[in-house]
Amino acid sequence: MGKLSMLSAKFAGALLLSTILAGAASAEGCSGTIKVLSQPRDGLTLLEKSKDEFTKLSGGATFEIDNLNENDRRAKSKADASTIGKYNVYYVDEANVALFSAAKWIVPLLDYYPKEYDYADFDPGRQKVATVNGTVWFAPLTGGGDMMVYRKDLLEKAGVQPPKTLDEFIAAVKKLHDPDHGVYGVALRGQRGSGANVWRWMPYFRGFGGKWFDGDTPAFDSDAFVKATQTYLDLFQYSPPGTKTGSWDESTGAFLAGQVAILIESTPLTGEALDPKVSKVIGKIGFLPPPSPLTGGGYGHGLAIAAKANKTDAEKKCAGLFIAWATSKENEMRRLADGEFSELNRTSVLTSPEFAKQFGADLGQALADTAKVTAVNFWQDPRWPDLGDHWGISLEELITGTRTDIKGAADELNGFAKTLVAKKQ
Amino acid sequence: MRAKNNYLAATFITPTMLVLAVLAFVPTIYAINISLQDRELSGSDANYVGLSNFIQLFSDRRFLNAAFVSLKWELVTVSATMIIAVLLAIMMFEALSPRLRNALSLVFLMPVLLPRVSAAYVWKFAFHPLFGLATYPYKALTGQPLDLLSNPNTALATVALVDAWQWALFFAVIIVKLLETLPPQPFEAAKLDHARTWEIYAYVAIPMLKAPLISLTFVKMIESLRAFDLIYVMTRGGPGITTETLDMYAFSQGFIESGKISYASSMAVLMMIVTTVAFTILWKRVRT
Amino acid sequence: MNRVRPAIWIARVILGLAAAMAIVPVLWTFLNAFKNRVDIVTPAPVFIFTPTLDNFIYVLGRESVLQGLINSVIVSGASVLIGALFGLPTAYAVARHPSRLTGEIQFFVLSLRFLPPVAVAIPLMVIWLDAGLYDTQLSLITTYSLLTISTTVWLGIPAFQRVPKEVEEAATVDGYGPYAVFFKVALPIASRSLIGALAFSFVLVWNEFLIALMLTTSDAKTLPIVASELTQLGRDVPWGILNASVILLSLPPLLFIGVLSGFLNSIVKKTNG
Repeated sequence: MGKLSMLSAKFAGALLLSTILAGAASAEGCSGTIKVLSQPRDGLTLLEKSKDEFTKLSGGATFEIDNLNENDRRAKSKADASTIGKYNVYYVDEANVALFSAAKWIVPLLDYYPKEYDYADFDPGRQKVATVNGTVWFAPLTGGGDMMVYRKDLLEKAGVQPPKTLDEFIAAVKKLHDPDHGVYGVALRGQRGSGANVWRWMPYFRGFGGKWFDGDTPAFDSDAFVKATQTYLDLFQYSPPGTKTGSWDESTGAFLAGQVAILIESTPLTGEALDPKVSKVIGKIGFLPPPSPLTGGGYGHGLAIAAKANKTDAEKKCAGLFIAWATSKENEMRRLADGEFSELNRTSVLTSPEFAKQFGADLGQALADTAKVTAVNFWQDPRWPDLGDHWGISLEELITGTRTDIKGAADELNGFAKTLVAKKQ
Repeated sequence: MRAKNNYLAATFITPTMLVLAVLAFVPTIYAINISLQDRELSGSDANYVGLSNFIQLFSDRRFLNAAFVSLKWELVTVSATMIIAVLLAIMMFEALSPRLRNALSLVFLMPVLLPRVSAAYVWKFAFHPLFGLATYPYKALTGQPLDLLSNPNTALATVALVDAWQWALFFAVIIVKLLETLPPQPFEAAKLDHARTWEIYAYVAIPMLKAPLISLTFVKMIESLRAFDLIYVMTRGGPGITTETLDMYAFSQGFIESGKISYASSMAVLMMIVTTVAFTILWKRVRT
Repeated sequence: MNRVRPAIWIARVILGLAAAMAIVPVLWTFLNAFKNRVDIVTPAPVFIFTPTLDNFIYVLGRESVLQGLINSVIVSGASVLIGALFGLPTAYAVARHPSRLTGEIQFFVLSLRFLPPVAVAIPLMVIWLDAGLYDTQLSLITTYSLLTISTTVWLGIPAFQRVPKEVEEAATVDGYGPYAVFFKVALPIASRSLIGALAFSFVLVWNEFLIALMLTTSDAKTLPIVASELTQLGRDVPWGILNASVILLSLPPLLFIGVLSGFLNSIVKKTNG
């Protein structure tokens, strides 16, 4: 089975080359600029260097990527898609793909995705995130779960074993916390947003047995909710300044600068921690799956074809061609050569000898282990961003101390969720 | 001759007033219209729901908070700007030669000319807890980073400081130029009476400038309504909702969070009514 | 005079500090625009470094920045022009022919500034969407015209009031019609102050943010929007690039500093002196 897929991958690679040569003929009619609304991704920046290749392939089209930070990208793409729709390609993620597909702001990807680019080669986990109601909506750019990353040197010095359970984790954080010497126990996300503070809080909520909905009835106003929030707030005492209103950048930034002993973050952190361009902790870190009972937050981001901006089938095909090319094996190999670990999604690339050579066997093992505890933590529904963002604001208030009643916040969110559900006709 | 002139006045004034009226009233009426519906960005169908958006506003915790933050913002920025401006102007007038005064005026004009987005960014960077120039002395002395913008107690004041930075320096320049236009005799008379410097200003100069100072305060009150750019770039209304002003909240409701443009519009209409009524009354008071 | 010497020195020190406050943050941004990232992300500020033009090259090379620059120039230019076209004659007529309505007109023009920008932007967004003109330069220019016309009228009135009546009367005696008096006499004489007024409305429009943010999504984005997007990027913050884009955005308004200073002088002097 494995061999077979390897073989088919190789075959696809060969096919790919031949289609690039024949590309001008197969995709003629593409012209103008394909506008992409995205968030900063090294892989996409790398792509900009091969603009000419795409122009040749498409028979005359070029592309332009507008970048916004993650929260803004979510808001802007929603505003653009629901109004005028100027962008041909949207960067979507696990949290808003349900909304975008239900609102018909994006079209089924595979209808316009050239077969020779072999969608089946993508990691099955990522494919699952990209599929809603049996239809594939985006081609993955990045994705994964959570990883506990820790400073081996600090743990050894303090005589602390890498924690396996949440209790051990909390004890370790407290013991390692030493701000006078520039080391904080942990780093968390405080900034509002379903993909920001709520994202890091959810593993506690789900790990403690919390549930968002029971059918159409909100079920989250529970002990698990309060306990998860309390635990999260307690841990924040050991998180560096700036993280209370910061997100991924601030907390991983602090870790990569050597100011944090241990943290649980999305898997791309492991790749960045090994990247000499941004990391000051190379050679000092270890990785493990998140301590039990925490669940890893499974996620996936990718590119989807916009419905409004691509009026004709020909335009949709051009956007599809761009997405296929941008996420092609060839481009993933370029990212691999550039050391962009977190933006590799194709089985054929992840199992390639080049990958093993560059990142070592440890990381591969840790990735495989963490995949076992990776779960969908959020509510899979078009209305999730609304609910998550609403909670994100209250959570930010709790974290920064401008409100203190967890139970009150939970009740308020409950009321909001009820109106949200009631709106559904 | 006279008839011709009136004709000129009519041709010069009427089209402009018509254009302004269309540009101002069409959106206003539209805003009221939208605020009575339940229109959302994502859905094209909308129904009239009467005043329910307005009623909902008054049980909305964030709206009430935003109204309070806006009020605080208005008070703090207007008073800070006027006080700092008057003090700086007096110092410039007393302590500097006219040439130095003019040179300093040019320097003081710079902040207000900067796009607010730039001003916000320049200071956001200066207040950066790790790499900021303004927070560096604190960090060097105590070894602790200073994060003013994510502290709920200091965030609003820090943003207000940037606003005052732009406006107070600008107003100082205007006030010093006003002081220069005052006749010297009352000053000399007061000096002969051995009045102290501060007494001369408090009892002679400032009262003489009462009218322009009130106008300036009025202008600042109007301009303080435009807090959005600074807050959008510097805090986004955070931490929590401690710097969320009405325009920031209306924007979030309309765009960032839910696309509830009818709800956002009802907030905007309310703001419009309050500011128009308040400023009209103020203006008529000031003028008579 | 002698007994207040120390107080004067204290005042001078405070003024010096205020001047530093006005300049240093901007100067610091300017310096940072020429730094590599390593020289910016330092525990203590760095003053000596090898300058680089990379940040500016990157910023100017982004299509979005270039597009934003073009949009800003066209939108600001066109709306200031429209403001002058409609605003100057009105200001002249109001200044020269005071009537019962003059006060009302002045108040109406000023009251347009009371409208919260959000209150204008939300309905306009719907209007432009329905008209199929959302995210176009035309819709922005039309929207900004409200701002430029009212500002030009408001600031133009005092400028025309300062044109000596006698000069105009002499021109009339020479056989100039009322329109000729406006174009050939009043406009040229008041031109210095009027340029100040137009510069002011240009700066207002160039710096405008909220309306542009709500009325554009990609094609008609102005420079402040593009710059704010760059400053909010987040991930591995490219600080040097941010500083460069802020400097680029701020340069045009700062070019007007002399014009505005002269304008202030003339306004303040003549209305009070």
